[in-house]
Amino acid sequence: MLKSILYKEWIKIRLVVWIALGLGLLALINIFLKVRHDILFVDAANYWYSFLFRGYTYFSVLKFLPFVIGLAVAIAQYFPETVNKRIKLTFHLPVSENGILIKMHAFGAVILLALFLLLLGLFTAGSAIFFPSNIIRASLLTMMPWFLGGMATYFLVALILLEPMWIFRGLYAAVAAGFVTIFFTGASIGAFSPVLLPLALITLVLSCVVLFSGYRFRKGEM
Amino acid sequence: MYAIECKNLTHYYGKKLVYENLSFNVEEGKILGLLGKNGTGKSTTINILNGFLQPFSGVCLIYGENTQTLTPETKRRIGFLIEGHIQYSFMNIHQIEKFYSGFYPDWNSAPYWELMSKLKVTPKQKISTMSCGQRSQVALGLILAQDPDLLILDDFSMGLDPGYRRLFIDYMREYAKAEHKTVFVTSHIIQDMERLIDDVMIMDYNKILAQQPVEQFMNTFRQFNITLNSPGQEVDLDGIAVNIEKVKDKIEFYTYSTEDEVKSYLASKGIDYSSFEERKMSLEDAFIGLTRKY
Repeated sequence: MLKSILYKEWIKIRLVVWIALGLGLLALINIFLKVRHDILFVDAANYWYSFLFRGYTYFSVLKFLPFVIGLAVAIAQYFPETVNKRIKLTFHLPVSENGILIKMHAFGAVILLALFLLLLGLFTAGSAIFFPSNIIRASLLTMMPWFLGGMATYFLVALILLEPMWIFRGLYAAVAAGFVTIFFTGASIGAFSPVLLPLALITLVLSCVVLFSGYRFRKGEM
Repeated sequence: MYAIECKNLTHYYGKKLVYENLSFNVEEGKILGLLGKNGTGKSTTINILNGFLQPFSGVCLIYGENTQTLTPETKRRIGFLIEGHIQYSFMNIHQIEKFYSGFYPDWNSAPYWELMSKLKVTPKQKISTMSCGQRSQVALGLILAQDPDLLILDDFSMGLDPGYRRLFIDYMREYAKAEHKTVFVTSHIIQDMERLIDDVMIMDYNKILAQQPVEQFMNTFRQFNITLNSPGQEVDLDGIAVNIEKVKDKIEFYTYSTEDEVKSYLASKGIDYSSFEERKMSLEDAFIGLTRKY
């Protein structure tokens, strides 16, 4: 049964996942070609200086990519379930309704996480060619809220799409927009480090909210 | 033994009452057709049966289990066809068969592939690009492969041309009778139901108007047409008729009374008529006769 659930979810999101991976790789190629180019013209020490003391982020092209990927994966996975209330088919399957929703959601989240970790891994490997470890660490800490924001976007868009009432969808969307903005607020290098743990915990809590929309659907809210 | 038992169902949408204290049963092995005009509560009933709607009060049981808390074992015994033959249209016929087969240990793909072989679709064609008729065959094939004990078919005829409707009905009737399946079905096209169902349940706003074997209903519910000698004559048929349509001197009325009972009633009321005719009805005529045209 689990195999069948994962099979269906993969069919829905695979195109988006490959496109997201392609976009991520292109963004990374763009970043490191630019870094290499800049280091050739400005010496490495000056380049590092501009990063450490002038707030120059050579990876800013990655900022909204996790948000776009989280949004796209959530839409690809949950929009087909909402068309013609197709989620009824899913809830009618001979498994617990919450159980199947948790499995679907966990699959989407794991794929998204794997994609983000892969991009971060490649970013780290690429950065290691040009930068010392303290710059890489600071870069990763700066990017962390963006990737957490991508995860939060996925969880919140799932909640919005599965919600059966338009008025509640609008309400959730307004709250979600305000909340997700926090992850992408402009800030200097590593400024978000003190709140990373609370942001991560909130994102973890958000991973479960889709169950509320599922419950409301099953109780016939419309 | 009942496959479905609904007791004292009451439901509201906001302040609008859909029905009050509605009770009905579906015997195992029977095909029951739920008929009703738009807004009389057919979809509400289907949603309650499938656990997608919690009634305001009352309870529905399927094989003895509350439909709000069906166990996976009981859900495995229920085949559900959503209005419009909705399926996972982002899959093709191979993918969807592979997907569903993982949930049902007794999955029998033979009838599915038999139906699919009749469709002129390519193996990788997505269901979303198929015609409504082809989609209906995919949905039907999946239900047959699941081999459930109870089939709940919500408006199966929606969007189907006459050929596909006939194919669907004939296949379903033969399958249900051969395998002793229980079927709970709704459809807007009542002429189709006549070929399919054993029992009929006719709903009107807030209540059930009739629930009985369709043959018994068709034998006991009658239409009579009379022509009055004087068009202005006051006519009181309330004592026997469930529905009366009067145009000038012609009166068309529907009743559970026999011809003799009607004639004797007309005589007792002093109603003067020149012609008297009992008209043979189809199920659709009888449905309209019982629920009125508007």
